[in-house]
Amino acid sequence: MKLRWTLLLILACVFVTPASAKKYGRQVRYAGIHPVAKAEGGGICHIEFPHVHIYPANKLEYRVVADNNVFVGDPVAYGWDGPKYAYKGAHPIQVNVLAGTPEPYVHYCYLSGPHYHYFEPEAPGFEVRGDAYFYVGEPPEAMIEARPAYVGINAVYTPLVYTRPVIEVEPPSGWIMVRPGFVVEAPVVVAPAPRAQVVGGVGVSAGVSVHIPVPTVSVGVQVGGPAVIVRERGHGKFKHKKWKRR
Amino acid sequence: MRSWLLIGLTVVACSKDKGATSRDGVVEAWKKGGLEPSSLTAAKVDVGSDCASGTVNKLDVLVCTFKTAKEAKEAEDKGLQWVGDNTGASKAQGEMLIVVADRKKVDPHGKVINQVVTLPAK
Repeated sequence: MKLRWTLLLILACVFVTPASAKKYGRQVRYAGIHPVAKAEGGGICHIEFPHVHIYPANKLEYRVVADNNVFVGDPVAYGWDGPKYAYKGAHPIQVNVLAGTPEPYVHYCYLSGPHYHYFEPEAPGFEVRGDAYFYVGEPPEAMIEARPAYVGINAVYTPLVYTRPVIEVEPPSGWIMVRPGFVVEAPVVVAPAPRAQVVGGVGVSAGVSVHIPVPTVSVGVQVGGPAVIVRERGHGKFKHKKWKRR
Repeated sequence: MRSWLLIGLTVVACSKDKGATSRDGVVEAWKKGGLEPSSLTAAKVDVGSDCASGTVNKLDVLVCTFKTAKEAKEAEDKGLQWVGDNTGASKAQGEMLIVVADRKKVDPHGKVINQVVTLPAK
């Protein structure tokens, strides 16, 4: 009896697919540019319109719009050398525009540090500072609710080594990353250095930000890894802290 | 009077469909864009009743002509069936449907596939 139910369950899993899943064979639908699977050689797929591949899309970097997987990560991390726009922090994305579908559909990018997209914002609520887009609008309930499912994207990008945008301006007031629910608490790790102390942690930056104290000039270097702030030993405060973390 | 005429001409010019409107026009657009298409030969496929297939830079292509743009759009899915288990695309361009399949895995980054579909639309 148990065996019969198990077999029925297996058959149901094999043959019952969602009504909306239009696919043929092993095809997976994509819309717009996106990373090519490592197993297929990596790099970037340059097809700008809906198309198919036979490799899957992951849930953290893609959103499904009208059966198409739309890439919402940072394409520069995978070698994109086309048009790019700098952002800092989480923000909405008008994903239906990327998928080429008329029905408005907004989803969200949860990258907390500086990053690029291949598109400019279509949704309202952005401010430009230092050639980068900051989202200052009220985060919709859907954005807050979906955050736990997608915030893991930061762990995907932290170890990636690539040239991130260097954004050294003060964020505008009302920036989403200083709002409750979006502030990234940083575990502090202190490592001694000959003349300076290195404080590392996963901060609001997805990359590494090295600030060299006086008398040298402050330099922003963006490579993979957690945020690192270099400060002189013996001082109680961060020398180059740009804004407060709650 | 003259300004109305200018406005009328502008409206007509703007409403006119851009891009290739015939199979020959599609092939011409590919050539102009630096691609190397073979000659297209009539193909009996489920995608449409007036289709021709060939290759562009070693990619398999299928170009179908429909009576209306709506019919071409509706046939996009059948085009994907023709692509099969390969990287590819199926996109309507007016009354034309352009389907491309990378069966030989010659375009892993989709640069040529992108051109095959976008060049005739320009």
